[in-house]
Amino acid sequence: MKAIIFTLSIALFLSCKQKKEPAELKPVQTTFTKVNDSSAESIYVLEDTFTNENNSTFVLSQLKGKPTVVAMIFTNCVYACPRITSDMLELQKKLSKDSDKINFLLVSFDTERDTPAALKAYANNMNLDKNWTLLHGSDEAVRTLSVLLNIQFAKDESGNFSHSNIISVLDKNGVLKFQKEGLNVSQEKTFEAIKKEI
Amino acid sequence: MVFFTVPVTYSQTTGTVRKMQKVPAGIYYPFFSGNNEKVNSFLMDETAVTNAEYLEFVKANPAWRKSQVKRIYADANYLRYWESDLEIGKNNRALLNSPVVYVSWFAAKAYCAWKNKKLPSVAQWEYAASAKPVNLKTGLTEYILAWNAQPNPKMLPNVKSTYKNIYSIYDMHGLIWEWTSDFNSYTGSVDSKGNGQEEFNNFCGAGGANVKNKKDYASFLRYSYRGSLKGNYCIANLGFRCIKNL
Repeated sequence: MKAIIFTLSIALFLSCKQKKEPAELKPVQTTFTKVNDSSAESIYVLEDTFTNENNSTFVLSQLKGKPTVVAMIFTNCVYACPRITSDMLELQKKLSKDSDKINFLLVSFDTERDTPAALKAYANNMNLDKNWTLLHGSDEAVRTLSVLLNIQFAKDESGNFSHSNIISVLDKNGVLKFQKEGLNVSQEKTFEAIKKEI
Repeated sequence: MVFFTVPVTYSQTTGTVRKMQKVPAGIYYPFFSGNNEKVNSFLMDETAVTNAEYLEFVKANPAWRKSQVKRIYADANYLRYWESDLEIGKNNRALLNSPVVYVSWFAAKAYCAWKNKKLPSVAQWEYAASAKPVNLKTGLTEYILAWNAQPNPKMLPNVKSTYKNIYSIYDMHGLIWEWTSDFNSYTGSVDSKGNGQEEFNNFCGAGGANVKNKKDYASFLRYSYRGSLKGNYCIANLGFRCIKNL
């Protein structure tokens, strides 16, 4: 929606102002986004190294072989992030026997406070099992991943983050297959998208 | 905590040296009122990266040639006006010293890394771009709006063809739009903290009430433009320049 407003604001502005075509603005994601398969490629091309909740070095390509459900969060987040995590937990519950066939991945925006230890504590607190990976990375690695996943974020003056709330589904090779934006929205389509990748 | 990035192999030859200018430390006043941000002193390329310079990059880094670039890093419009991988084309000779455009964020970032530089953040770019011109007859805002009102030129002019600012940096406005490292900074849709503030930073009437200067349509455009981009978009008039933190 926002993106549409942006696009419109540009279009309106330019139409008043005798166009200077800044760009061929392309259609942007809506609440349900089906990612175009033909142009999609693996996000596992990302070479940056992360650290997982057990303080081990981690590269995204280690997730290869199973479909992955991924979101970006920060653990000091009081509203949206617990909601995202519990949406993912619910998806996991719903998968029941299949849940071992899926990776669940959380990557933190908060490169300062979300140390591997803090992520470990969060995982324990939220009862996340062995199928979950929580990652901490450098500012640059986190920013690049956010761009690959079309997630917007900014740090505010209190050290918290404003960010888009998106759960993404990657196939076994790390190709983005489905994205769902929003809180308190039905995860039915996300569930179907995951099932399709098993 | 130790982080490291798997070293990307770039050619040792890093091509032409683009002169950089020092931008002194100062305060960046974001377009949306709120937190002003301290900007440390940094070096900035005095012009945007040109086609000639970008050609050196793709010669040295085959992975960034038109035919070889990964789609996730650059869409099908990548360098679309270039004749081939290593040829800009006879009709495009005049563009050699003009900014390279139709390049993605990933490509821009890789170029800067090859030069041992980085893309500027939104704060750095906007702060440098707000510096006073030294050779313009009109005010800066007036100048930008006049530029925005013009149709695209048939051929993109050369770098240094517009104006210079007090830091001796050229063409921050008037030639192209430029990538920033955090172009995907959050500007608001669903509020992650639940207090409604982010919704306010939007571009409808309610959001407009919160901006720094309601008459600053030029900033309005830049912020909305950035918000509509994705990392692999390759677009007419969108290029980049690099910086170095001090």
